[in-house]
Amino acid sequence: MQQSEITAYAERCFGGEPASCSYACPFNLDIRTFLERVSRGRWKQAYKSLRNAVVFPTVVAELCPAPCRGRCQRETLGDAPLDLSAIEHAVVRYTPDRRGEQYALPPKQGSVAVVGAGLAGLAAALGLAQKKYTVTVFEREASWGGALREHEHYERFDEDIRLQFAFDMPEFRYNTEITSLDELRDFDAVFVATGDGGVDFGLTPTFDPKLRNSADARVFFGGGVIGDDAIASLASAADSARMIEVFLQTGKASETYGGYDKRDCGHYVDHAGEPKKPLIVAASPDGYTEDETRAEAARCMQCDCRKCLASCEMLEKYRKLPTKIASEVYTDSGAAPPYSTHMITRETYSCLDCGYCGSVCPEGVDSGEILHLSRVQRAEDGVAPAALHDFWLREMAHATTDAAYVSAGRGKSTCEYVFFPGCQLGAMDTRHVTESYEWLACNFDCGVMLGCCGAPAYWAGRMDLFNDNISSIRSTWETLGRPTFVVACATCERMFRDATPDIAVVTLYELMAERKFIPLSTVNCQLSTVFDPCAAREDTAMRTAVRTLASGAGIALEELQNQGKCCGNGGHIRAANRELFEQMSQNRADESPLPYIVYCANCRDVFDERGKSCAHILDVLFGITPEKAPLIGEKRRNRMEVSRMLREKIEGGNAPAADVPHDAIELVIAPELAEEIDRKLIGSDEMREAIYLAERGGAKFIDADGVCQCSLVKSALTYWVRYKPLGDGRFEIVSAYYHRMRIARED
Amino acid sequence: MDWKCAKCDVELKPKKTLFSYLGNTFSHEVPVCPQCGEVFIPPELAEGRMAEVEEQLEDK
Repeated sequence: MQQSEITAYAERCFGGEPASCSYACPFNLDIRTFLERVSRGRWKQAYKSLRNAVVFPTVVAELCPAPCRGRCQRETLGDAPLDLSAIEHAVVRYTPDRRGEQYALPPKQGSVAVVGAGLAGLAAALGLAQKKYTVTVFEREASWGGALREHEHYERFDEDIRLQFAFDMPEFRYNTEITSLDELRDFDAVFVATGDGGVDFGLTPTFDPKLRNSADARVFFGGGVIGDDAIASLASAADSARMIEVFLQTGKASETYGGYDKRDCGHYVDHAGEPKKPLIVAASPDGYTEDETRAEAARCMQCDCRKCLASCEMLEKYRKLPTKIASEVYTDSGAAPPYSTHMITRETYSCLDCGYCGSVCPEGVDSGEILHLSRVQRAEDGVAPAALHDFWLREMAHATTDAAYVSAGRGKSTCEYVFFPGCQLGAMDTRHVTESYEWLACNFDCGVMLGCCGAPAYWAGRMDLFNDNISSIRSTWETLGRPTFVVACATCERMFRDATPDIAVVTLYELMAERKFIPLSTVNCQLSTVFDPCAAREDTAMRTAVRTLASGAGIALEELQNQGKCCGNGGHIRAANRELFEQMSQNRADESPLPYIVYCANCRDVFDERGKSCAHILDVLFGITPEKAPLIGEKRRNRMEVSRMLREKIEGGNAPAADVPHDAIELVIAPELAEEIDRKLIGSDEMREAIYLAERGGAKFIDADGVCQCSLVKSALTYWVRYKPLGDGRFEIVSAYYHRMRIARED
Repeated sequence: MDWKCAKCDVELKPKKTLFSYLGNTFSHEVPVCPQCGEVFIPPELAEGRMAEVEEQLEDK
């Protein structure tokens, strides 16, 4: 995995970047943080962030034209921008100790001459003195301040300057005019800040704005002498001090990162729903009171994009933006335990891969795609925890082998359409497939293909299995004369659309709506809401068709507020993060108090588990009263039954049910216990097989009450069943559980 | 110990047993048939400590 490949997925994410106002700030002040501190009345911390960026806070509060106000996103709501200058004045006023930072550093080698004690010279001198270089300031006049001395508030500026130099006062040589650089030959570097029209030793024509120096590499420039106004002088003097330090340390000037590489972030966050807040006007001409200052700062919307985090329980739980996820996915790809470890395994396997975060992202960045790369990489490297997807891969294997069936239709070898109901539709209710096929075969030249689109392999990151399955589907498709696929599951549609774009796909619901399917029963204006499967988010035709069909069946529809979120089944996260799965599926069930109409068998299954009133659109159309969703064992049986029934229908005669030896084992199990075991993803087949083997002479344990216990290893899992033999091939289940670790039977 | 090995008809005895998961191996004392060596895992162990260790190793 290349870092560039992975970071490319997230590079458009601007979450965590400075806000638009900070880009406009000459000092790159982190205005968000500053205002957040002010809003909480943290004067000292607020002052510190201001002072660290602007050097002389009182001067800047007075002189800065506040270009940030032109970039304040409050204006998008029609509000006045925040009054930064008034806030800065207030922060200065309410901070008791405004002395400069005291740095405990040892003295450094290197001496610097600063020529001119105006704003630029003072700022550079302060920066270098605080780093403990020997700084000497030469000033033609009898005191510092330069052009500032003319200002009506110079007294306040003078106090500010004194405070900032409180702990690091360089040597000031007043009444000393430097006319030749020869006078400064003993200094390692020179900073010339002689003001507008000041002496430049003939070097300003060679001034390099990036390196801040000139043809004489040790001579740096700043302030009015190079045309800067007061604010630009201050802002660039800090840069110059950094450059001079690099020069002192390395002997040559080189570019250091002094600010943002662009002047405009280009991104405004969507503030829809944010309440308007008018500008706080100071009651007194002296400026804001403490409360007014805090209230004005609290108008800051802390502009930063967190849309994906707010849209998804998983992203919200782990609080990571796509950029962070991308960097961790890359780091994980090189992890070699036990010396370095994977950082984001749980997150990787907790993602529904539903694309919802990408759909709300202003830039379309989908964290699921990034995490999917990680799943694929782990599977390829053999470090994926196999147990997390083992169950679904076995279900897929069942659907594509034992329960598979293909036919172009009675007496035919090719067909124009082929019905691909997917692995779950018939598993949930055989009639959904058999009745649909009945209708399709009457209306179209339609065959049938029972199998699986490969989503379980895709979500497990097992692209080897996924591609093998797709190849097999493609070759069947070729044999059938390249028919159009009729799918009943949005996930199947998504998988085919992405993996086999040349195969034409239409949904069953579109065909039914197009042919004006007459429902077998109608209900009278029952108010319901359609819960769209996540994979249908961008499929308007499918979503519209389902609504047309539901309305045609007499259902009154009300739209959901948050449409397009996954029910919880996506990505098959249940084994990796059951708690999160339950939280997500419950939240989806609670999106509306109305009963749901779904058109994804998995949504139906998930909502049934949550006790949500829910019907599949095919229940509605075929007049089927939705029953409790079948448990795992019944689903497998249903799948087999669909295969048998269609074979019988198409080929005639009596297709025998498959003969499975452990089917002779009859389980007696309390309904509540059966559901509890089902939630652990343990099927009745595993229990039957384990008991069958134990009762035929396999390993078995028994207690004084005659309760038995046995185990069964199935690929990545070891299942255990505790049961009571009741005689006549009947066994009462006491408990069933599994573990993922393997037992080495010798020590 | 209430449980017996049904095949050997002997009571189980605690024995250090090796477990492995995701490339890590560790030992823990669990009930084992002293004769045939079959290992017995009770539900509270599988869904308790074992599940915890599995989760820790998956998170590594």
